[in-house]
Amino acid sequence: MLDRLSLRLRILLFFAALALGAVLAIVAGLWVALRHEGAATVPPALVSGGLIAAFLVVGLVTWVWFLFDQNVARAIESLASAIRARVHAGIEHDLVAEARAARYLGDLAPAAAAVTRTLVETRNALAESVARETTRLAAEKSRLETLLADVPVAVLLCTADHQLAFYNGQAVDILGGGTAPGLDRNLLDYLRAGPIRHAYDRLAGAGDPDLASDLLCATATGGRLLAGRMRVLRRREEGIAPGYVLTLRDVTADIAAHTSREALLAEVFDRVRRPAANLQTVIGVLAELQDAQDAPDLSAAMLDEVGALTQAITELGARYDAAQSDWRPLVATRSADLLDGLKGRLQAEGLSLETEGPELILQVDGFEIVAFWAWLACRLAEQGTARAFRLVLAEEDGPGAVMRLCWDGAPLSVGRLDGWLIEPLGAATGELSARAVLKTHATEAWPEQVGGRSAVVMPIRSARRAGRRPPPIARKVVYDFDLLSKARNAAVADTRLDDLTFVVFDTETTGLSPATDEIVQIAGVRLVNGKRVETEVFDTLVNPGRPIPPSSTDVHGINDSMVVGAPDIVEAGRRFHKFAEGAVLVAHNAPFDMEFLRRKEAALGVAFDHPILDTVLLSAVVYGQTEQHSLDALTARLGITIPEEARHTAIGDTVATADAFLKLVPMLRARGLDTFGAVVAEVRKHGRLLKDLNG
Amino acid sequence: MAEAAERKRILVVEDEDNIAVALDYLMTREGYEQSRIATGAGAVDLIRQTRPDLVLLDVMLPEVSGYEICQNVRLDPALSGVKILMMTARGSAMERRKGLAMGADGFISKPFELKALRAEVRRILAGEPAVTTSDAPGEARHA
Repeated sequence: MLDRLSLRLRILLFFAALALGAVLAIVAGLWVALRHEGAATVPPALVSGGLIAAFLVVGLVTWVWFLFDQNVARAIESLASAIRARVHAGIEHDLVAEARAARYLGDLAPAAAAVTRTLVETRNALAESVARETTRLAAEKSRLETLLADVPVAVLLCTADHQLAFYNGQAVDILGGGTAPGLDRNLLDYLRAGPIRHAYDRLAGAGDPDLASDLLCATATGGRLLAGRMRVLRRREEGIAPGYVLTLRDVTADIAAHTSREALLAEVFDRVRRPAANLQTVIGVLAELQDAQDAPDLSAAMLDEVGALTQAITELGARYDAAQSDWRPLVATRSADLLDGLKGRLQAEGLSLETEGPELILQVDGFEIVAFWAWLACRLAEQGTARAFRLVLAEEDGPGAVMRLCWDGAPLSVGRLDGWLIEPLGAATGELSARAVLKTHATEAWPEQVGGRSAVVMPIRSARRAGRRPPPIARKVVYDFDLLSKARNAAVADTRLDDLTFVVFDTETTGLSPATDEIVQIAGVRLVNGKRVETEVFDTLVNPGRPIPPSSTDVHGINDSMVVGAPDIVEAGRRFHKFAEGAVLVAHNAPFDMEFLRRKEAALGVAFDHPILDTVLLSAVVYGQTEQHSLDALTARLGITIPEEARHTAIGDTVATADAFLKLVPMLRARGLDTFGAVVAEVRKHGRLLKDLNG
Repeated sequence: MAEAAERKRILVVEDEDNIAVALDYLMTREGYEQSRIATGAGAVDLIRQTRPDLVLLDVMLPEVSGYEICQNVRLDPALSGVKILMMTARGSAMERRKGLAMGADGFISKPFELKALRAEVRRILAGEPAVTTSDAPGEARHA
């Protein structure tokens, strides 16, 4: 029991017992002395002496206790508190006051000061090291995200059942024909299933994580053809099939160009073969006649076939020329970047280059063009023709531009230039010849004299004036690797709330009656693995096909002119249905929004049969029915601020509802409502509340 | 038909015999005085010696290309009166541009219609500018 008392109290009790014992000893001594003397009464002097002795003893003990309390007990307690504060509360300053108080405790205070100082230093060093490592990891993560966001192919990471756990910006471009991809969505909603399943089954069956499979697949809508490579991840957890990495490249244009060339080639043979064969026959007959004048119809036939042949060759040749550069992977390249690269190349060779001309976007293979001009300048320098050059870029009428490499010095003969063009461009470009560069770009090069200067000219077939350099596209990678090891439960009712995907949504309407009013805006956000995925947002105005009453415009700010050109409810509803596929729908006062959507199910050809949660009812479960459950009241209670400009916009209210929902989930869990089924069972007790709100 | 007093002299620089024969007939029938050289190597020297009014110049020649002949003729001020009509079996827009940049007065793609060739020869000899830049078969192009 004494263990629970403080040190000072225990010492106080000890000294009190000591004083009491001393007094009792004096009393006992006096009593023994009286018995020995056989005195019938106690002499007053003895009583006085005993009292004085008792007071003196009590006084002495009290004095000693006081000194002990001040210099030992209190000092030890103070020292102990100070050590605890340094251990648990992170206080860092030295034990100065405490050490002064504990000056009679020998080496205890300096020893305690040394221990706490070492502790603080160790802790600071550890914190610094953790912070440094955290910063390094964050920087690496950020670099990796940037890298993956910028790779020019779509990169996707999927679970074994094809749910998306990672995608980059290019994947959004490639797959986003209808609905943009989203975390925990099924890849097979975007791609035709056959090649993906086939490749996965083959790779997973092989069980070799180093094995990759090339595949060709089409988007679900069939609009794009994609070439890709799949690699199955190493198994991370027993019982969960490994996911896979899929890289995809859009080859629709390549295939189309190839198909177009094949078709052209087939047409060439078809159109040339017939008149050529006919011509041979006609000329053969004509040769056997004595006088061609006797067969005017044969001459006419011959001219006719020759005309057809000529026309076919000319037309087909022009189409071939036009198609030539389509096949090549030419990309839009800023002339400034191109010329800068060339300048660097020439400087490295000890040559100087000035550039002039407007900033254009050229459709070229930048590497080949730079290699071409650098090679030519070096060739001219080798000949002693010039070492200083000017590259002039000029727009042409029509879609093209002209590049001119100019120098002060002897002109180049076309014969010599044509002779050089068949040479390789240099060691760095392998067998690539200057002529091949011209062929790639379906162009030619020739010497010219421009304003007294010599030049070599190369037209560029496709160029346009560059606008302001666009800000870099904020491409983001979106991921949640926990999805790879997420246990999936077939029954929604038995699924933990954290494992469900939610789409929180809100609608704005022309009025409050689902029977007569129409939706003018739908917004939704996705919550995956207990987090809002910021990049996965649905937000569209809807043309209600009827005037929007001014009273409604006053609420949500949407007027008739804003919905001109917006999709109607059939298109917007279908897109939203796709966006919400496989998710639990969440809304604040869900029956209102659901009634507007469900009334359109027949027109949309889809059913909004998703599981549904209502934040009004969840608020009632958590805070009780007597509280206010409006969105403003709920968000205010949860410390969520809706920016004024976003209030009563579908997206503003949606984000606020989503944030409120995310805060309500742990509160539901604390009440033991862990699964969707448990929440719904509890919510049903509050059905009356919702009826009241809708009434 | 041109009058004998106006007989213009045309030099055909063409390595393919069949088309050279045909051009010979055609130019003669048109009343021009026609001669031919089959290689590019001696073409410029022949032009200097004979000073033809017009050179029908094939692009693809052995040894020296039509472009080079054209450029050398244009670099010689003494030959400034010699007109050049270039002919090629390819006829891409870029080749035409290159030919015209080398100083050709016209450029015609093979195969060509005789009517178009006749018209182009007449136009160049008359010193008239080109009137069209369409892509019609065999039509001459001008910068």
